[in-house]
Amino acid sequence: MNHRRIWALMGKECRELARDPLTIGLAILMPLVMLFLFGYAVTLDVNDIRLGVLDDDRSPASRELVDRFTASGYFKQSHTFDTPRQVEQALQRGQVRVVLVVPRRFQQSVLRGEDAPVQLLVDGAFASSAALALGYAEAIVASYPAAPRQRIETQVRVWYNPGLRSANFVVPGLFAVILMAFPPLLTALAIVREKESGTIEQIYASPVTSAEFVLAKLLPYAGVALLEMALLVGVGIVWFEVPFAGSPALLAAASGVYVLTTVGIGLLVSTITRTQLSAMLVALIVSLMPSFLFSGFLFPVFTMPLMLQLYSTLVPASYFVEISRDVVLKDAGWAALAPNLTWLAMYTAVVFVFAAWRLRQKVAP
Amino acid sequence: MACAVARAAVKPESRLVAQGLGRRFGARWAVREVSISLAAGETLGVVGADGAGKTTLLQMFAAILDPSEGACTVLGRDSRRESKRIAAGLGYMTQGFTLYDRLSVEENLRLAARLRGVSDTDYGPRRSQLLAMAGLSRFTERLSGKLSGGMRKKLSLCTNLIHAPHLLILDEPGLGVDPLSRRELWAMLARYRETGVATIVATSYMDEAERCDRVLLLRDGQPLALDSPAGLRAQAAGRVFEVRGADLIQSLPALRALDHVRGLQVLPDRVRFQSRELASSPPIPGSQPAEPVLEDVFVLHDTATEPDIPAPTAPVTLAASGLGLMTHDVSVVFGGFRAVDRVSLSIQPGELLALLGPNGAGKTTLIRGLCGLVPFTEGQAQVAGLPLPGQIAAVRQRVGYMSQRFSLYLDLTAQENLAFFASAYGLGGDHAREAIAQATAQLGLTLAPGQLVAALSGAERQRLALACAILHRPAVLFLDEPTSGVDPLARYRFWWLIRSLAQAGMSILVTTHYLDEAAYCDRIGLMHQGALIGWGTLDALRVQTGLPGDATVEAVFVQAIAQATARTGATV
Repeated sequence: MNHRRIWALMGKECRELARDPLTIGLAILMPLVMLFLFGYAVTLDVNDIRLGVLDDDRSPASRELVDRFTASGYFKQSHTFDTPRQVEQALQRGQVRVVLVVPRRFQQSVLRGEDAPVQLLVDGAFASSAALALGYAEAIVASYPAAPRQRIETQVRVWYNPGLRSANFVVPGLFAVILMAFPPLLTALAIVREKESGTIEQIYASPVTSAEFVLAKLLPYAGVALLEMALLVGVGIVWFEVPFAGSPALLAAASGVYVLTTVGIGLLVSTITRTQLSAMLVALIVSLMPSFLFSGFLFPVFTMPLMLQLYSTLVPASYFVEISRDVVLKDAGWAALAPNLTWLAMYTAVVFVFAAWRLRQKVAP
Repeated sequence: MACAVARAAVKPESRLVAQGLGRRFGARWAVREVSISLAAGETLGVVGADGAGKTTLLQMFAAILDPSEGACTVLGRDSRRESKRIAAGLGYMTQGFTLYDRLSVEENLRLAARLRGVSDTDYGPRRSQLLAMAGLSRFTERLSGKLSGGMRKKLSLCTNLIHAPHLLILDEPGLGVDPLSRRELWAMLARYRETGVATIVATSYMDEAERCDRVLLLRDGQPLALDSPAGLRAQAAGRVFEVRGADLIQSLPALRALDHVRGLQVLPDRVRFQSRELASSPPIPGSQPAEPVLEDVFVLHDTATEPDIPAPTAPVTLAASGLGLMTHDVSVVFGGFRAVDRVSLSIQPGELLALLGPNGAGKTTLIRGLCGLVPFTEGQAQVAGLPLPGQIAAVRQRVGYMSQRFSLYLDLTAQENLAFFASAYGLGGDHAREAIAQATAQLGLTLAPGQLVAALSGAERQRLALACAILHRPAVLFLDEPTSGVDPLARYRFWWLIRSLAQAGMSILVTTHYLDEAAYCDRIGLMHQGALIGWGTLDALRVQTGLPGDATVEAVFVQAIAQATARTGATV
């Protein structure tokens, strides 16, 4: 490799980028748009679930149970029913998500220390929020002091995200997904554009080697991606109020490795496609979709079938989702990150070599 | 050992040696059996129609495409294995864009120098010399995307000369370049030749081929001949004749009847043709020997069996006749860019006008304006008796338009294409059948049923596109670069068809970037940067520009550009 040629090519890339306000604008704006969209839309928090009550007991005990539901903050009583038929209608129309049915003689049973069954009807159409609602409801019912009876008390401490805020969990994951979405898209066009305009033939017919050419494309676009990352972290902390527990320098260094991977994937796509349109489509399919589904950003990898778990090891975002959460939420150190970082670095090297090999410096094989 | 051999061959006598060079894409051979040796200081022209394999051959010469058979040694090195070493001593100017539009002139040049390892001490003087020679010294800060076509080509040449290559390969350098810039380009090349650089130029312009030391004629990837221009012309000596006089058309049947007559060119004032037999006496009474040109050699080697000129048929009767075309100061402005700049011209019924100019001169935009496809920003026009702007829909019924790309549906058969265009012009049932029969008979188009357009040759598509454009018997016909990319014989035949349509009373406007083709037309218009800088008969233009009566079209054009520049006071 000849450093003089690489510098010359990198200078050219930077100038071209700087003189293309549209691309720069999109490169900065699109990640922010995605951060805001997903930062708000992907929320797993469940608050103010609409609760209906069918209280056949109408006793102080039953009223106290209902109060405990509404006082928890998770439920809001929106309907009171008199007959089971009303309950059915309201659930069907989606007016309530959870219905608490308190049978007659509830207070009597409670006072006698007998089993006092209550019924919880949950609208299971929204499976995930239903499961959460059910969990909250069961916890409330279980903590109801049915009788002065010895019970095991659990002292629960949630570490790293004490409030169990979705944003704290989603936003650091989004860093990984967004950096896998836009930098490859931008870079996928970088070589294809030269193929389409024909300038690449001048490069072929010059002493520039394919490794030099790919490297000179990689670094400037990685710089743009790092800029995006800084912006995302800033907005994550200031706007989404994600606590930043770890070391910013460590996250920056890890991001440096990760953007080389994502940009490298874009370049690889660029070397195997012929038109800008196909480059964009391929980039979307190979980078964004898997990183959304198989990175553990939303759906935990360890619950997936084995084949998909193996597949997810091929998705670089799955390493950085962990790194990002580890640093931002858990204040992880070098040692904790080392395995994931090593994988990423190896990934980058393979992608780079493959891209340079694909760009064979000939018009046709 | 191999290393020593390679090192000894650093300054070879032969800059390039190709032996049995061939390249196949899938089952199709793009180039076959090219053998050539090129010495230092020599200029080789590679001449052929579009698709003849010129670019493929040049890519193999430039070592960026591996040959499928044979071998190529460039600057003493094997093109397959040592392409990067070859690159250091090579300049290769591709046909398309070779510059980065968002970089300035200076930045493009410096990038090229750094990529090719030119030291800073060498760069300074070479840069100044090249920019001065290209006339770009004043524009070093301008982005290359904002240069004119001619300036871009000259800068491209500079970026390929900055490392003082031993071998320079140029793919269609004259394409999209005005005649003045083309002259300057060739002047630069001539100066570099003196330094010993060997040059290979692919071109479809015969005048560019004439400037080369040797010319390789290529047809369908096969080399037809390799000789000096004079040597090639000598092959055609004694075989080229012309008939002058008033009754040109009357002489055609007699010529058609002779088997050995090929390449009939019907020009307004004469008929030019070749005889396959070296006859001592003229083939028909009244014919005289004519000066052979390079193109005649192509025709001599053509083995096509189709008659040069289709039999005359009953002339078409036009839907509306005697109307012509006239424009007054029409302009088309896109943003701040005047694509067409105050053009005034007129075409009489039965007249053939050629608009000459490089790509980007505004020819296509003017035609699109006259068809009502682009609104004129300024000025008025009358097309086939109807005003523009105004009756756009009615105008479209009276004009025919054949676009540069022969707008045909490749996945339909020829008949389906014709039927579609007939219905697009509102012809149905018997009217459509009659129109299709007449148009195909007029153009001598015999089409195998069921054959897709995709399978037709360029020349067949060209005539089919013309048939589609004249189905509704327009009074005014626009043909945009109809002849680019086809063989000489097909071109001669096509011009004869155009001429016969004009004789039926159509007013015909043809654009072309081949200046030679002006000879087929009654009048010519010269377009330069959107403006019509001259129009009239060639003789009238010679008088206007103050040139002698035998001045070439190119000389007239160059002089007209100089005069127009002096008039407007503009320099760029």
